[in-house]
Amino acid sequence: MVNEKQLWQNRRSEYWEMAIKYLKLIGNSGFLFTIYLLFVFGSYYYGQFLQWLPETFPATLFFTLVFTWFITRGRVRTFAKQGDLFFLTPREGKLKGYFRSSIFYSLVMETIWLSLLLLVLAPLFFDRVHSSGSFLLSILFLLIGLKWWNLAAGFEEQRLQEKARYLTHTIIRLGLTGVSVYALFSIQPIWIIGGIAGALIIFYLGYFYRLSKYHSLKWDRLVEIEDQTIMTFYRVANSFTDVPALKSKVRSRNWLSPLYKLVSFKQKNVYHYMFSRAFSRANDYFGIYIRLTLLGLLFLSIVQLDWGRWFIVALFAYMTALQIETLRLHFNTSKMVDLYPISSMEKFKSHKFWLFVLGCIQAIVFGIGSVIAFNFIEGVISLVITFLVFVLHGLFRLPKLYNAM
Amino acid sequence: MTIEKLTGGYQRSKPVLHDLSFTVNKYEIVGLIGLNGAGKSTTIKHILGLMEPHAGHVRLLGKTWTESGDEYRQGLAYIPEMPLLYEEMTLWEHLELTAMAYGLDEETFKKRAERLLKEFRMTKMVKWFPSHFSKGMRQKVMIMCAFLIRPSLYVADEPFVGLDPIGIKSFLDRMLEMKAEGCGILMSTHILATAEKYCDRFILLHEGKILLQGTLKELQIQANMPGADLDEIYVEMTREDDDGE
Repeated sequence: MVNEKQLWQNRRSEYWEMAIKYLKLIGNSGFLFTIYLLFVFGSYYYGQFLQWLPETFPATLFFTLVFTWFITRGRVRTFAKQGDLFFLTPREGKLKGYFRSSIFYSLVMETIWLSLLLLVLAPLFFDRVHSSGSFLLSILFLLIGLKWWNLAAGFEEQRLQEKARYLTHTIIRLGLTGVSVYALFSIQPIWIIGGIAGALIIFYLGYFYRLSKYHSLKWDRLVEIEDQTIMTFYRVANSFTDVPALKSKVRSRNWLSPLYKLVSFKQKNVYHYMFSRAFSRANDYFGIYIRLTLLGLLFLSIVQLDWGRWFIVALFAYMTALQIETLRLHFNTSKMVDLYPISSMEKFKSHKFWLFVLGCIQAIVFGIGSVIAFNFIEGVISLVITFLVFVLHGLFRLPKLYNAM
Repeated sequence: MTIEKLTGGYQRSKPVLHDLSFTVNKYEIVGLIGLNGAGKSTTIKHILGLMEPHAGHVRLLGKTWTESGDEYRQGLAYIPEMPLLYEEMTLWEHLELTAMAYGLDEETFKKRAERLLKEFRMTKMVKWFPSHFSKGMRQKVMIMCAFLIRPSLYVADEPFVGLDPIGIKSFLDRMLEMKAEGCGILMSTHILATAEKYCDRFILLHEGKILLQGTLKELQIQANMPGADLDEIYVEMTREDDDGE
């Protein structure tokens, strides 16, 4: 007989073997150093930030919003696979233990993230909400309980086939979580909190649990959720190293089509053509580019220290360049491309072309950002630094990757 | 298996299937025929209990999935259009896992597995992983898994895609054998010439509705096309609809 517990444990360790391999690569890639730097900058500005934050800042509301979102989001990791649609469905009724392990595992993982988030926000909590440490700790425990409730209810909710009903349930869950979180952070008396907890448990038993009696598991969806989770991990890992398993999800992003006009209909532009589509539609290259640009903009407008800001600009420009660099491998799995009668030199030139175009756009954004946040000179400096990083990357690192030096 | 007035799809506001009713009896092969997007795969998902009907029922041996759970699913075998395999398991392990999931005892499993492997010429590949298989070989793995189970109903979704001629022949011979033993078989396909030769009855699905159903003779009468073959009827029936729009 298939041992469900064994199956679950195998899949978990399989996942972690893969994950640890990538985590090691991430650790080696200078990422930790960046985190460390952000931590140093962060802790320096955190104190200042708290002082600067006006007394009227709605801290309770802020905590409620952040934690409501954080606790409602996230689905149960089931490690479901495509093959399960054939091989596990006939034993669905016997897989209760399997899914219980999944919920518990997800709870442990989420608890780690939840604790981290609360730790980061702890100074704000002590400053504005309540100064007692044991109080914060009890809130953490209650939040974990609430997270558990959300995972369990969210798992039953996935049985609903219709998107609309599924979504409605998530929204209802969001509402209930919101009320509970607000009760915690607005420091309601114990009987109110106990009452809410009781009501949630009754609601789960009386409603969500019953869903499992009338609805089958939606395996398609479980696989989809699992795939998304893994993709998210791969995407993060892909920022530091090549992840061959990254399946692409294509978005049309029609509004980016003016970008394609930069490419004219000529044979030598084949790679220009391919890279432009790959960048804007596939694998979220575009999404990461935008995120890095916005994040960079945010940091450079906050950091007051001149050299610190210049460093931030260079850092984000470099991280962006590293992202664009991965485009090189995008068509590696497509054998057709190798058959095109075009030299790899053209590929390199096209890649460089887009690197510079995107670099220019980012330089202009950072430049304008600095002009608005500081002054004209600062704007010019940011622009020049960003541009310089991209030029250096395009002149030294990229040719090395293509062996074109 | 009986389908009664099945209306279904992913969204209640936009049903894909409208009021389908048909049966697959013992000792018969039924061809489910329709254009791409006609609702064949959705129908099959409903039969497998992977989707729930908005209205109507799907019964296997008189019971719905909700009523009998795992027993329902163990009573049928599914051959998917796209092979669903685990990349980290060998061919043999796939067969073994199937046997375990469907509650076969080890001896029966081994006997059946050996025979299937020989018949589908896969004996040499038992230790191979799916990444070394061609599309056709993957499909063969799914077919072997399905035949291993000997359920009362087979549901095959485009089983021929990618198979070599010998594979197709083995598959069809097996189907006939299963039919002779009393299984019901529902097979969706585009290869109408083969369907015409092997299926006892046909269900012509178009835009989620049943256009025609019955034996070839009955279809010819219903379509008013005496002597026409399945291809002609199929093209004619779907064309009429295009003109109407």
